[in-house]
Amino acid sequence: MQQLISFQEKVILITGASAGIGQQTAILLSNLGAKVILLATNEDKLIETLGLLNGTGHQYFCYDLSNLEEIENKVKEIVTQCGKIDGFVNCVGIRSRRPLSLLSIKEVRNVMDINFGSYIELVRCITKKGNFNSGLSIVGVSSIAAQAGGPGVTAYAASKAAVEAAVRCLSKELAPKNIRLNTVVPSQINTPEYAKLLQMNGGVDNVLNRQYLGLGEPDDVANAIAFLLSPASKFITGVSLPVDGGYLSS
Amino acid sequence: MILNPMDLTNKKILVVGATSETGETITNQLLNLGAEVVMVDDNEERLITIADKCNNPRLNFNCIDIYNNQEIESGMKQMAANFGAFDGLVFCAGKGGVRPLQLTKNNFLHNMMNANLYSFIEVVRCLTKKGSFNNGGSIVVISSVSSIKGLKSKISYSASKAALDASVRGMAAELSEKKIRVNSILKGWVTSDMKLDFIQDNMELNKNEDFAKQLLGVIEPIEIANTVSFLLSDATKTITGISMLHDGGYSL
Repeated sequence: MQQLISFQEKVILITGASAGIGQQTAILLSNLGAKVILLATNEDKLIETLGLLNGTGHQYFCYDLSNLEEIENKVKEIVTQCGKIDGFVNCVGIRSRRPLSLLSIKEVRNVMDINFGSYIELVRCITKKGNFNSGLSIVGVSSIAAQAGGPGVTAYAASKAAVEAAVRCLSKELAPKNIRLNTVVPSQINTPEYAKLLQMNGGVDNVLNRQYLGLGEPDDVANAIAFLLSPASKFITGVSLPVDGGYLSS
Repeated sequence: MILNPMDLTNKKILVVGATSETGETITNQLLNLGAEVVMVDDNEERLITIADKCNNPRLNFNCIDIYNNQEIESGMKQMAANFGAFDGLVFCAGKGGVRPLQLTKNNFLHNMMNANLYSFIEVVRCLTKKGSFNNGGSIVVISSVSSIKGLKSKISYSASKAALDASVRGMAAELSEKKIRVNSILKGWVTSDMKLDFIQDNMELNKNEDFAKQLLGVIEPIEIANTVSFLLSDATKTITGISMLHDGGYSL
């Protein structure tokens, strides 16, 4: 039987890999044969995630991506230990909810640095000569907030929209190196972060009124990521793929 | 009687970034439409020159370094104290820049975001405090078609404008309680841009794929000024959170 998507012997780096969408993506890719490199801040959760992976050869790195200055060295270390990178999935991100009157420049900058700045720096370092194999595919996780506004999510939405715009430029710039870049655009997904949000809103989530396929599961997003990482999508670059249960089109 | 749906009589409008060619043209057109205008920029000499040229009692100015985040809060407070609450804000400050990925390091990103995003959010945050901006007012910010279309080596510029448009949607949702509207204009190539070095570099970089795409030719600053006036006026009092294309067909 032909397998449409396989990552046998492929080295895939996943940031924000210790929970939610990142963790589910790591599990799925390991099931599809990949050697997965997990990167996140919480070592206990990284070890827990490593234990959930199928197969051998996976590794984890404990790193706080808000430290932008050291990303270059960390990428070097990863490539030295794990080999050249075939795929990169960026799931790191902080949710920020603040009304405009409390949205200080410091807060905006912090959100932009983690959700956008670290992504650009990671892409910059990974796409240096010797760090990647031809056919490299990069998938970022954006959000419906980037395309649809909501009160209190100004900085978060801006950071995700910035990633999507950068992907449109980078896909053109890096095409000559046979590198593709895309984003997935999830709506409300059943993750620990979503549980926190729901608690804050007293268990009510109006977004679901428009998200007519109901609440998404992390593996819905992981499946879309796996597709965009794989050669099955080798003619797709620079896109933002909604995984949104119908939200953006309703 | 001639009806003018874009009449701005008795509206007090703040123009931030007023000393660029587009900023000056916008200022002039707002005055023509009856508005009271206060220009803000960091170039005092240019502010004085424009004020002298206009010689209009409805025009005032204030020198503030809009890219210095520390100055914005006190600057906006001072504006409200001097001139009373505003009915409109036009934000046409901002910076360009062309760099390939390998040279797009965090400092460069930060400077671009500071000029095109952070300063806008901070101005709106401070200006929409009680007593500084009237309910029913309108905010217009100049974005770019780069927000939705990618070009080589424009990673940080495109990202900053896309972030700006996303922030517009967030603010529009939030400020709708006060009936304050927030919109952006995705401008294509304007004649005044063409004099800037970074545009020249960009044309060189992307020459084979891009400039013929602006089907109706290059835009004059007065056309942008008209679109700004339209979005400021009560003719659009139920339009909010949009990024309006004004690109001569570039994005088609």
